[in-house]
Amino acid sequence: MKTISTTIGKLFLCLGLLAFSAVGVWAGGAKEGATSSAPVKIGFIGPLTGDYANYGKLMTQAIKIAVEERNANGGIDGHNVQMVAEDSEGKQEKAVAAMEKLASVDRILGLVGAVFSSSSLAIAPRAQQEKIVMISPSSTHPDLTNKGSFIFRDVVSDDVQAKVFAKYVYQDMGLRSVAILYTKNDYSQGLANGFKAQFEAEGGKIVGMESGMQGDKDFKTQLTNIKATNPQAIYMPDYVAEINQILQQTQQLGMTGVKMLATDGFSNPEILQLAGPLANGVVYSGPELEKNPLQVAFETKYEAKWTDKPDSFSLNAYDAANILFDAIQAVYQSASPADQKSLNLDRDAIRAKVAAVEGYKGVSGEISFAPNGDAIKNQGILTVANGQYKQLGVYKITDNKLVQVK
Amino acid sequence: MIYFILLLVIYIGIYAILSLSLNIVTGYTGLLSLCQAAFFGIGAYTSAILLTRTHINFWWILLLAGVVASLAGILIGLPTLRLKGDYLAIATLGFGEITRNVLLNWDSLTRGPLGISGIPAVKVFGFTLDPMQKVEYVVFVWFFVLVTYVVLNRIMKSRVGRALEAIREDEVAAFSMGINVTKYKMMAFGLSAFFGGIAGTLWTVYNQSVNPSSFDFLLSVMLLCMVVLGGMGNQLAVILGAVLIEVAGELPRLLGFSSIVPPQFKQILFGLILVVMMIYRPQGLIGRRVPKSRIVPRQSAPDSPTEVSP
Amino acid sequence: MVHLSAAELVQHLVNGLTLGAIYALIALGYTMVYGILKFINFAHGDILMVGTYAGLYAYTAIQGSAVGPWSIAVFFLAIVVAMAASGALGFIVERVAYRPLRRAPRLAPLLSAIGVSIILMNSAAFLFGTKSKDFPYPFDNAPMIVKGVAVTPHQIMILAVALVMMVSLKLFIDRSRLGKAMRATSLDMDVARLMGINVDSIISLTFVIGSALAAVAGVLIALEYTVYPTMGTMAGLKAFIAAVVGGIGSISGAMLGGILLGVLETFGVAVLGIPVGLKDTIAFSVLIIILLVKPSGLLGRSEREKV
Repeated sequence: MKTISTTIGKLFLCLGLLAFSAVGVWAGGAKEGATSSAPVKIGFIGPLTGDYANYGKLMTQAIKIAVEERNANGGIDGHNVQMVAEDSEGKQEKAVAAMEKLASVDRILGLVGAVFSSSSLAIAPRAQQEKIVMISPSSTHPDLTNKGSFIFRDVVSDDVQAKVFAKYVYQDMGLRSVAILYTKNDYSQGLANGFKAQFEAEGGKIVGMESGMQGDKDFKTQLTNIKATNPQAIYMPDYVAEINQILQQTQQLGMTGVKMLATDGFSNPEILQLAGPLANGVVYSGPELEKNPLQVAFETKYEAKWTDKPDSFSLNAYDAANILFDAIQAVYQSASPADQKSLNLDRDAIRAKVAAVEGYKGVSGEISFAPNGDAIKNQGILTVANGQYKQLGVYKITDNKLVQVK
Repeated sequence: MIYFILLLVIYIGIYAILSLSLNIVTGYTGLLSLCQAAFFGIGAYTSAILLTRTHINFWWILLLAGVVASLAGILIGLPTLRLKGDYLAIATLGFGEITRNVLLNWDSLTRGPLGISGIPAVKVFGFTLDPMQKVEYVVFVWFFVLVTYVVLNRIMKSRVGRALEAIREDEVAAFSMGINVTKYKMMAFGLSAFFGGIAGTLWTVYNQSVNPSSFDFLLSVMLLCMVVLGGMGNQLAVILGAVLIEVAGELPRLLGFSSIVPPQFKQILFGLILVVMMIYRPQGLIGRRVPKSRIVPRQSAPDSPTEVSP
Repeated sequence: MVHLSAAELVQHLVNGLTLGAIYALIALGYTMVYGILKFINFAHGDILMVGTYAGLYAYTAIQGSAVGPWSIAVFFLAIVVAMAASGALGFIVERVAYRPLRRAPRLAPLLSAIGVSIILMNSAAFLFGTKSKDFPYPFDNAPMIVKGVAVTPHQIMILAVALVMMVSLKLFIDRSRLGKAMRATSLDMDVARLMGINVDSIISLTFVIGSALAAVAGVLIALEYTVYPTMGTMAGLKAFIAAVVGGIGSISGAMLGGILLGVLETFGVAVLGIPVGLKDTIAFSVLIIILLVKPSGLLGRSEREKV
């Protein structure tokens, strides 16, 4: 009967697919072991599809440059380095699946990821268990680095960034009434809460706290409400898509006298193109604009290769990859020849090397790791003048006091 | 590789429970529901909140999550009883989105977009179940799949199941035969939501964290695909559907080309499979057996209730 | 309740009406297709997105981003390009993914539409890049402040274009022969066929018109916001709700539903003080209320649909 034969046909198809996959996996695996120069693999987990695909894209492009540079210099003593990038689609369960694959199939030695805090929190236990050194370039949730000794981040956590900025706004800018317009995602909400807490602790007043949804384009209602509270400034701890809309709409609503404040999301150069002259005058907290030769060289190279300009998270990703490579290289050199050949490296030693990083001069600034894995980086306060980023100062907090470093 | 496959088996198990539960409403009763992810999320969050704020025993939490979810199911069942076909689908879609919105905004309860993380590993029969021990979890989850299958099988073979199928085939005729359509539809939703909630608890304890982004409309669509692609109404087929969809979703990673091929290709392939399957085999891989003879051929007339099955 | 001045009320009204006009334009496509086929075209929003990209490329290729004397003309050309692209795509999608399923069980075209949506969204991401692209204004969009109410030329354009489109459509449906054929087909497809109407062509036409209108909305949205591969999803969903609220299958219903939804959303937050995070919940709640009170929608006729 037709039904049976079609069902059997489909069954054979399924079996065929499974067989094909098995062969593919085996072949892929076999290929790795056969060559004497097995590649050194690090992984990346982040959104490569979906609404936030662009963030993942910018970061993987940065890591690809790190990989190329390292291989051009002979790799790790002859072994090529390789990035295995997996898509988390912005969802924690996909991040978990990606992590599993990277850990058990690719046996990565280090991970740059994840992008979103919720994904990072979800994959951290597995990274810790498999002794994979994990450096997140963008997850700012305060709890993350407490998940284990193998968990690091080279982005400044929410706490610090918001705190520094709140103090700056109150003390240096002399502002007393600020309204907050944040987005319902973990990045923005964390910063909004942090800023509010610190600003009020300083003695300032948060006159309005409005929120929009991730992906929202229309903020006129929230802004109209904010307009009624007559704030001196609006704090927008958002990504560039939302910031662009907010800048345009504040202007459309005639709120030209209000100071606009933002956070490191603003450091994505896309905003200069999207918002144009409206970006001028915005003050934001972000990574220091060292304009050290390293950063300039990197940005030039990045743009030449990818046409896109890198954002601050990509800079962090590049540095994270290099820190991982350096650590792996150091451990490799003190390993036995047999271990070197099979890339059987001491993961605890790799971790120790990463933890010992102090004053690393990266493209995203000078990085040191605190004992818990957080990055100690100075916080830059910057603005935009004539369509260019300009640094107003670099700060850190010592004994709960704002100290200007540069 | 084996650990990756084990992980998939765990996820497939949870999705299997979800698709079995959706099958009650959509496969057996013929009501198109697009909010199964909402019941899943409600169950997941209920268990997450209880696990982090109380010391209640796991089994009670499991039960509570199921009950809370089924209450939601009855809540959605009640007002939508009169709605036919497409309108019901739309209402469920609305409900699903409202739920996700609430999860995202009720900060004091759910912590909004930050989600709830750091959920401790559960103790089952005095034995701590560590998500890192995959084999144990495979057994754990699939135990529940089995329980769900058996329970639903019994129910569907009983008078309840026959009533639901009667409602699916012809609601008016069922009503005239004395079947209390209202009661049975509510039961279907409540039951479906209950198991959705159970699945949610399993999800929470395995991932040890919950986030609203996991419970979106896309998931409801995926679950519907699992039910349809497997073959509606047939429980085993539905489980097969869950296997297929999840494997299809992770195929690039399984085959090792996930980091080589552009990520969008996987999604495009998935969409193509959907379209092709619908055109060439809409009754799913193991479709329900269709009655061979019909007195009056079925036509889609403008004022007939929406048909969901062949 | 929040205390608002007259100026603020009018401001919110203006914001709400423009938002509503956009919803209405997109809702028209949904409603026309449903009226004839009793089918919810889930890929409608994504067809809109593709057309918008086409319009963007056409505009920037010719005009760049400078505002000059010809930019408005080029802009209208871009709109035409967008309409053509979406219309063509709508035609193709209907032929390939929906027509074979006309006699299939109800779920089949639904899932097929979802499949098409996924394909379009990801193909766009792959071809056009994942970065949001800016659609430059063809004119200076400085707001005009009238008695404390800020109105931008863009808002005026949205209202004007939407009005023109909707009136044209209404006239077309009510007065022209093809329009009459469309109405007949939506009333009873089989009888229409028997009367000599080429039902397949009418259906194709419906898709083309609906898609083209949505593309206009897409371009208007793009000016204010940006163009990106997933822009069709939320816009599509809201517009779909608008169509249902107004009465799915009814053109006037789609227009009314769109405007109503836009205004309710804006006022719900601004006047009733509903937290902005729950803004979308307003839309869905209105949907549920309508479905409970009058499922056929405000202007819909019970079950017997008219286009």
